[in-house]
Amino acid sequence: MAERLLTTARAIAEAIAQEMERDERVFVMGEDIGAYGGIFGATQGLLEKFGPERVMDTPISEMGFIGAAVGAATEGMRPIAELMFVDFFGVAMDQIFNHMAKIHYMSGGNVKVPMVLMTAIGGGYSDAAQHSQCLYSLFAHTPGIKVVVPSTPYDAKGLMIQAIRDDDPVMYFFHKGIMGLGWMAPNPRATGPVPEEPYTIPFGQADVKREGSDLTILTLSLMVHRSLDAAEQLAEEGISAEVIDLRTLVPLDKATIIESVKKTHRVLIVDEDYKSFGLSGELIAIIAEEALDYVDAPPKRLAVPDVPIPYSRPLEQEVIPSVDRIVQAARELMAE
Amino acid sequence: MHPTVGLIANPASGKDIRRLIAHGSVFDNNEKANIIRRVLRALDVFGVKRVLAMPDLYGLVLRALEEAHVGLRVEFVDIPVTNTAADSRLAATVMAQAGVRCIVTVGGDGTNRVVAQGCHNVPLVPISTGTNNVFPSFVESTLAGMAAAAVALDVERVWEQAVHRARRLEILREGRVVDIALVDVVVYDERFVATKAIWDADKMRALFLTAPYRGTIGASAIAAYLPWAEQVARDSAGLYVELGAGQTRVLAPIAPGLIVPVSVRSVSPLELEQTVPIPHAPSILALDGEREVPVPPGASVAVRLSARGPYVVDVQAALQAAVEEGFFVQGGTERG
Amino acid sequence: MALSRETLLQLYEMMVKIRTFEERVAEIYYEGKQPVFNIAAGPVPGEMHLYSGQEAVAAGVCAHLRPDDPVTSTHRPHGHLIAKGVDLKRMMAEIFGKETGLCHGKGGHMHLFDPELHFGCGGIVGGGIPHAVGAALAIKKRGEDRVAVSFFGEGAANIGAFHESLNLAALWKLPAVFIVEDNLYAISVPKTASTAVRSNAERGAAYGIPAVQVDGQDVVAVYEAAGEAVERARRGEGPTLIEAVCYRFRGHFEGDPEHYLPEGEKERWKQRDPIVLLAKQLKDQGWLTDEEAQAIQDRMTALIAEAEAFARESAYPPPEAALTDVFVQAE
Repeated sequence: MAERLLTTARAIAEAIAQEMERDERVFVMGEDIGAYGGIFGATQGLLEKFGPERVMDTPISEMGFIGAAVGAATEGMRPIAELMFVDFFGVAMDQIFNHMAKIHYMSGGNVKVPMVLMTAIGGGYSDAAQHSQCLYSLFAHTPGIKVVVPSTPYDAKGLMIQAIRDDDPVMYFFHKGIMGLGWMAPNPRATGPVPEEPYTIPFGQADVKREGSDLTILTLSLMVHRSLDAAEQLAEEGISAEVIDLRTLVPLDKATIIESVKKTHRVLIVDEDYKSFGLSGELIAIIAEEALDYVDAPPKRLAVPDVPIPYSRPLEQEVIPSVDRIVQAARELMAE
Repeated sequence: MHPTVGLIANPASGKDIRRLIAHGSVFDNNEKANIIRRVLRALDVFGVKRVLAMPDLYGLVLRALEEAHVGLRVEFVDIPVTNTAADSRLAATVMAQAGVRCIVTVGGDGTNRVVAQGCHNVPLVPISTGTNNVFPSFVESTLAGMAAAAVALDVERVWEQAVHRARRLEILREGRVVDIALVDVVVYDERFVATKAIWDADKMRALFLTAPYRGTIGASAIAAYLPWAEQVARDSAGLYVELGAGQTRVLAPIAPGLIVPVSVRSVSPLELEQTVPIPHAPSILALDGEREVPVPPGASVAVRLSARGPYVVDVQAALQAAVEEGFFVQGGTERG
Repeated sequence: MALSRETLLQLYEMMVKIRTFEERVAEIYYEGKQPVFNIAAGPVPGEMHLYSGQEAVAAGVCAHLRPDDPVTSTHRPHGHLIAKGVDLKRMMAEIFGKETGLCHGKGGHMHLFDPELHFGCGGIVGGGIPHAVGAALAIKKRGEDRVAVSFFGEGAANIGAFHESLNLAALWKLPAVFIVEDNLYAISVPKTASTAVRSNAERGAAYGIPAVQVDGQDVVAVYEAAGEAVERARRGEGPTLIEAVCYRFRGHFEGDPEHYLPEGEKERWKQRDPIVLLAKQLKDQGWLTDEEAQAIQDRMTALIAEAEAFARESAYPPPEAALTDVFVQAE
C-alpha cells in the first residue's frame, strides 16, 4: 500500500479534526484559524467541517481568549487556543503563567485545565526579532505546563492527539519551517508518512531519529531536520552521529538522553532558542548531574547567541544554527 | 451684586436600571459636560458674570469649564458632596439663599423634583438628560442658556411671559408634607426603594398627575393616551387614576421602549388642595418615576395637589420675549 | 423575583454570616503577629483582604445564582464564596492552610477554588474576568441556562483583560454578568485618579452592553438589579455590566494604615452599613424584631466558631504534598 504523505500542517489539522469528531467538547479558537485555516495551516479545513461554533475566529484579544480557554476548560470543555506567534505571549502571559499553569495546583488538584495552547515558533526567513523566537524554555521553566515540540508530520499528529486527550494544560510549539508551507523555503522533511487512523505518542518519550555511535546530538523542532542533514554529511567523513529528537520538554525523557550519552560519551546540543538560561543549559546540567562519568569531552551547544533575531539574511544565518555549523561543531567535539 | 445663575447638573442620571429593563438611552457624563459647556458659553456671551454651581464627584462643571473659554466666574456652593439626591436639594437651597436669579438644571424628572424641594421661588430652566423627561424639556442647551441669561438679566416682560408656576403633588404623612413630586405619584405594590425605577405595570395601583399630560413617557403616559382624560381634568386640575382589573386597557409607554397594556379602572379629576388618602398599604410611592416613600402597614399617607410648585422658565417663550426686547441685537433696535 | 420577607431575611442572614466570618478571621489573623507585625507569623500567614462593608454586593448578586452558575472572584473573595454557599469549615481550613481545606492548603486565602460551586478566584487583578467569559462560552455551547458571574473592582476595570473580556462577551452574546465592585480605592489610589470616566457604567456603551449603576450598600437595590441581569443572561440575551458603589470598612489589606483616606470619609460610609440599612428597612415593615436579629447573629457566630474549631483541629498537609498536583498525570 502506498504511503500516505502529509505536511506537518495537514497532520496537525487532521489530528484536531479527528479529536473534534470523537469528542464534542473539543473546539478551537484563535486569530484567523477559521476561514483562513490558520496562518500556518494548522487548522486548515476545520471550519468547513465543523462550522463557526466550534472553529472560532477571535478578535485580537490574546489575554481575553486564552483566559476564556482557561475558563472554558475549568467548566469541562477541551479548548484548543492558537497563539499565532509565540512572540505574542507577552500580551497574554498572565493567563498562561499564573492561571493556566497554576490553577490545578492551587486548587489542590480539584480543578483541571484540559486545554491545548498551540503556537508557531522559529525563524530563518527574515521575520526579525518579534516574529522569529522559539521561547519554549520560558514555558518549560514554569511548573504546570506540558511542553510539546514536534519535528515531523508523524510526530505532530500523534503528539497533538495526545495533547488534546491530556487533562493538563499543554503548550504545543510547531516551527513554521516544518509545516510544509508553500510560501516558505521548501523543506523535504516537512512532508512525511502519516497513518490515517488516530494514534497517540506518549509524552516524555524522546525519539532516536538516527542511530549513531560517535556523538549524541540532542535537538528538537526544525533543528532535528538540520541535525539529520548534518549527520549524513558527517557519515561521509566517518563520524557516526546519533540524533535524538526530544519531542517533549515537559515531561522530558531523561532516560533516553542518559542512555545515549553512556553509549557515545560526547554530546552536542542544537537548539534554536536563545543560548543562556534555557534548554541547552538544562540538558547539560542534567548530564552533569546524572552522567558526568560517561562524558569524555565538555558538552557543546549550538544555540542563538543571546541576541534578538536580526532581519538581514546574512545576519540571521549567522545566529541560527545551520547544517554547516552543526557539522563543524561535531568535528570539533570529536577532536576534543 | 452681579446677577448670578445657579447650575445643578446631576451626574447620576441616565445610569439606572432602566438601561436594563427598558431601553433607556445612555447619557454619559462627557455628553453632560458638553451640555453644560454650551450653557456657560451662552451665559457668558449675554453678559452673565457669575455662576454658582453644585459640586459633584464627577467634576461635571469643572470638566465643562476646561474648554468653555468663558470670562464669567464659576463658584461652587460650599456643601459636602455625598453623591446623593441630598446634594441637589441642599445646593438649591443654598443658591436660593444666595439670591441666584434662576437655576439651570441638567437631569431628568428626578433631578428637578429634588431641586424643587430647595429652590423656593427661584425659577428653574430644566434641561433634560434623564430617562423619562416629562418635566424638563428636550431643549438644546445653548438656547436654555440664552433663556437663563434673559431671565437673570431681568429682561423686560420675560418673567411675565415666560415664567410660570408649576403644580406639585405633596406627600403627607400624619398631615405633614414629607416629599413632593412635579409630574406624578404612583402607588406601587412594593415595599422597598431598591433600584428606585418602576417598570411593572401589574404593580401599579393608583396614579396621581399634576396635569393631563400629552405625549409623554413614564407613568404619566397611562393617562396621556386615554382620549377622555383631558376632558376629565378640565382646566385647573390634575388627575387621579385608579388602576387594576377594569374595562379599559391602555397601551402606554411606561419606560423608554417599554409599551405595555395597563388596566385602568377609573379616571377622576384631582382638584387643587384636594387631599387623597392612600388606601393601599403596604405599598411604596414612586415620585416622578422613582420609588421614594414607603407606606408601611398601618401608615397614614395622603397625596395633595398643590399650586405651590416651582417657577419654571419656558425657554421658547423667554427667547421670544427677549427677541421682542431686542436682547439679541447689538447697536440699536431700528430696522436696518 | 419578589422582594418577599423570606428573601430579604435570607439576604440579611447572608450578610450577617459574611460579616461575622470576616471579623472573626481578622481577629485570628492578628494572632501571633503582635506586638510587632510579622506577616508570615501566626495561624493565618500571608496577606488578608477582608470584605466587611461590602456584604450587600455578594449577597444581593449570589442570591440569584444556582450552585452550578460559575463565579470568578478576586483577592477579596470571602464574601463571594460564602454567598455562593461554601462549606465554611473547608473554607476556614484552607485559610488556615490545613489539609482539610478546599485546596488542601495549596491555595490559601486568595486562591480558593470550589469546583462543586464552580467558584474560582485569584490574586491577579482582572485575571478572573476572562475565565468568566470562557465559562459563559462553555455554557452557551452546551445550550444551558446557567450564568457566569465575574466580580472585580473598579481598579480592575482599567486593565486590558477587562476590556478584552467585555468585548468578547458582547461579541459572542454570552450569558455573563460583570459586577464592578466600586469601593472607591485600588489600594490607596482613588478612582478619581485612575479612571478617565467617572462611572464604569458608562463603559458598557463602549462594548454595546447595557450597564447599570446601583447603590452597593443597599442589598435590595443590588438584588433587584442583579436579578434582572441574571434573568437576561439566562434568557440568552447577553451580558450586563453592573457597577455597585460600595465601601470597604477595613482597608485594602489587614494592616493597611489607610493614611490616604480623607478625614471622616470612612465614618460617613459606616453610617450606611448595609446590614444596619437592611435591618432598618425590615423593621419598618414589621418584618424583623430585635430579638430575631439577635437570634440570627447568635446562629452565625456559632456557625463560624464551628468552622474555626474544625480548621484549628485539622492537620497540616505533609511537606511532601508540596510536590504533588502540579499535573493531573505527570508522565
